[in-house]
Amino acid sequence: MTRTLAHSLYHISKKENWNFRLFSLYDTRYDLMSQYLPPENYTGFNNSRLSLGFRSIKEASHSDIVILNHINFALIGIVIKLFNPKCPVWLIAHGIEVWRPLSFIKRTFLNRYCDKIICVSNFTKHQMIARHRSDPDKCVVLNNAVDPFIKLPEAFDKPEYLLNRYGLGPSNQVIFTLTRLASSEQYKGHEQVIKAVASLKQEFANIKYILSGQYDSVEEIRIRSLIDKYDVRDEVILTGFLNENELTDHFLLADLFVLPSKKEGFGIVFVEALACGLPVICGNADGSTDAIKDGKLGTAINVDDLSELQNTIVRYLNTPLTLDKRKNLQKECLQYFDEKYYQEHLLKLLNNEQAA
Amino acid sequence: MCRIAGIISASSEAFDRSEKVKQMCQVLKHGGPDDEGIFDDTGARLTFGHRRLSIIDLSYNGHQPMADAQQRVWITFNGEIYNYPELKAQLISLGAKFISSTDTEVIISAYIHWGMAAFAKLRGIFAFALYDKEKALTYLVRDSSGIKPLYYCAKEGQLSFASEVKALKAAGLANEADPDWQIRFLAYGHIPEPYTTLKNVYSLPKGEFLCWNHKKSTYDIHSYHVIFNKSAIDDIIQAKEAIKENLAFAVRRQLIADAPIGVFLSGGIDSSLLTLLAEQEKKTQLKTISIYFNEKAYDESMYQNLVLKQIEGEKFSHLVKQSDFEGFFPQIIEDMDLPTTDGINTWCISKFAHDDGLKAVLSGLGADELFGGYPSFNRIRYIKTARKYPASFFKLANHSGFDAYRKIAFLTYNHPIADYLFLRGLYSPADIAEILDTDITHVEDVLFANRKLPYVRNYDEQDAAWFELNLYMQNQLLRDTDVMGMSHGLEVRVPFLDEDFIRTAESINPTIRFDKSRPKKILIDSFDDVLPEPIWNRTKMGFTFPLQDWMKKNQEITDESLYNRNKSKSIIKSFKNDSVHWSKAFALFQIQMHA
Repeated sequence: MTRTLAHSLYHISKKENWNFRLFSLYDTRYDLMSQYLPPENYTGFNNSRLSLGFRSIKEASHSDIVILNHINFALIGIVIKLFNPKCPVWLIAHGIEVWRPLSFIKRTFLNRYCDKIICVSNFTKHQMIARHRSDPDKCVVLNNAVDPFIKLPEAFDKPEYLLNRYGLGPSNQVIFTLTRLASSEQYKGHEQVIKAVASLKQEFANIKYILSGQYDSVEEIRIRSLIDKYDVRDEVILTGFLNENELTDHFLLADLFVLPSKKEGFGIVFVEALACGLPVICGNADGSTDAIKDGKLGTAINVDDLSELQNTIVRYLNTPLTLDKRKNLQKECLQYFDEKYYQEHLLKLLNNEQAA
Repeated sequence: MCRIAGIISASSEAFDRSEKVKQMCQVLKHGGPDDEGIFDDTGARLTFGHRRLSIIDLSYNGHQPMADAQQRVWITFNGEIYNYPELKAQLISLGAKFISSTDTEVIISAYIHWGMAAFAKLRGIFAFALYDKEKALTYLVRDSSGIKPLYYCAKEGQLSFASEVKALKAAGLANEADPDWQIRFLAYGHIPEPYTTLKNVYSLPKGEFLCWNHKKSTYDIHSYHVIFNKSAIDDIIQAKEAIKENLAFAVRRQLIADAPIGVFLSGGIDSSLLTLLAEQEKKTQLKTISIYFNEKAYDESMYQNLVLKQIEGEKFSHLVKQSDFEGFFPQIIEDMDLPTTDGINTWCISKFAHDDGLKAVLSGLGADELFGGYPSFNRIRYIKTARKYPASFFKLANHSGFDAYRKIAFLTYNHPIADYLFLRGLYSPADIAEILDTDITHVEDVLFANRKLPYVRNYDEQDAAWFELNLYMQNQLLRDTDVMGMSHGLEVRVPFLDEDFIRTAESINPTIRFDKSRPKKILIDSFDDVLPEPIWNRTKMGFTFPLQDWMKKNQEITDESLYNRNKSKSIIKSFKNDSVHWSKAFALFQIQMHA
């Protein structure tokens, strides 16, 4: 999502004749994707915290606003405010990184120095207020947007090359999950989907579950043993890493996107699926509900309730979307999550800050 | 077998297209000495060219470009389909009819019956262009292990392709040099895929196809790879059985040929194993080609003889001397197509194989990559340790007086390509900048920007295998092997890279597959009844020539006045007193030749 934020900020700044610079701690110069942001607006620090700190403080001494994209930069935020108290400092609050007890420095930054908290979802906003007693007036919800460079489909046919790759035919009903499959992050819910597929394979003989995303070897072994345990070797297709240029085609290949996760700050993947006309099922206890506009675009379920997950999958599979309906779903999604609305909202916030 | 070329261009005239394709075929003649064919579809504004090296069905039935009886599908094909008899039987049961005994006709029929799904059913070494007249689509397809090359240039509504880069250049289809090829060459020691020395000319990735839409003059590139749920092999006995069975099967099906076939025997584990397995399959017809040297440190003839004793077929053994190298050198440079610091060995042995009457040989390439036969499988752990220290610390390596340590400077960069270049690279970015008189940030950008790799950085043997298979072997060994073999009209087959064998090897639990007690232990153990002990119980040699000595005696390479920058002159000077490896001097020599 940082890419879309950078792209939006760059375009806003260009239009308004402002200067904009993006500093990235973990990335290097080579990680920049210049379609989002030109190299002259970007510096990558290759994991050098000290250089990032000094450069940020120096740059902030003559900046009109600083946006920190992670709570881990709290210390930098504090020092910036000490050197340049008039410079507003904003924080973007995503998900799990702020839905937990925070260190003294982070709390100090939030309560005393942070001027605005941009929450990616209402869920995150509630967490900020409830957990950290953040001032509700300081917390603003700015939902993430569809990546401006995602290839939005105009036709909604299933791509032939993917049908071949996965050995699928027109009669197959395809459930799709795309997420990072890390052994350290056991909340994505793909295990629940595997169990659901195991129960549904009698009723839906042509059901297939495509589980995508880069995995580590521990998680691969775990998933493969789950596949064996639940006897879904013929139903589950584990693809591993998905090439970004094939992302849209996978959304077109699928009939339903399911990610019953517990800890999505917003769930950008849901709006990307919807933008390709693919219905989604998400969890009801995190930021995902914003991505489906509280049920207008998709269905949120209790992820611990396997029968609810199964019943919802059955409901979608029994009423497959026509091509027209997929097109409508895309249109509806973009009405809320097109980058242009994101830019408008962001500009308004920036202008308000300047006016204040 | 063969070489292919073609042009699709909505704005071209048939005569012009045909002339250019003929020009390309002429340049590619060495790889297809037996026949030439041109097909033109004026309506589709498409011309395919083909130079044939006949190995299967030597009759005119194998003439290409070839079409089905209805002339709906046309193909120009380079390679071999090893499972074509099985596919043919399946297709016959579906009602297909065949008029030739060629594998080419099987590809056409498979496409007609299964569409794009046919590509994944093919097992072999191949690169082809297939034109579907009805759908107005042309596919360029490359085998899953990237053994056969295919270069394409897609610009301004035109697609042109060829088996070698120089064909596209000779026909004037791509003239402009890639401004950054020298940087890549000096860093890697070759030009890494998908790049070439020409701007807008790329190598089609392995296991992928390019689909050209004639109506829109646009294209997409996708993988045709089929995803299987692989079952892991966790048991040593099971692993050994799987290796034995699948390697023997790969050798058996790769011996399919109607022309004379042989084996390259170096004396190492991999080629000895292939020779012995092939002998079990083919007895008297099997021919072996070996090379030996007067330089004792490089002479492997003792080990070769151990294997040769067990072989019944013809045995060709050739002595290669410094004077031969001197004589061959200008032609080697001419034949390499893209700059490379390897391939001299393959060029020589291919020449001998050709002179001995062979059209196809088996090579042991691929076993080191699959079973941990290289030092990189241990060295990769150093990177993990190095990551714990500040990156800038490794910049000190740029000041090292020991040439071999200078590439430690790659650890400064937190990038997978830098990890690879630390293991396998030639020159460090600072040295490249100095040699080419350019800015180091430019060198860094060329090497690292926009190079994303689908690879997890655990710094273990699996990562090393990924690097070795997908970068070093793909970009250097396989490319050099194909181009150097084909320069003598010789097809080099690589049973260790049989798709099904790779799949077997990759499904073996890494602790068994990369047993630390000995490189390639599981492979050796699987064939302990076949391989003589002295072959595996020895220090690894590799298929290496005494090139440090030979190049030092070469007047051109060592002529300091030939090099126009001081840095290059000083490297050549150090090479002459043995403090620089020959591959670095050879790289500079090639840069200078293109200057």
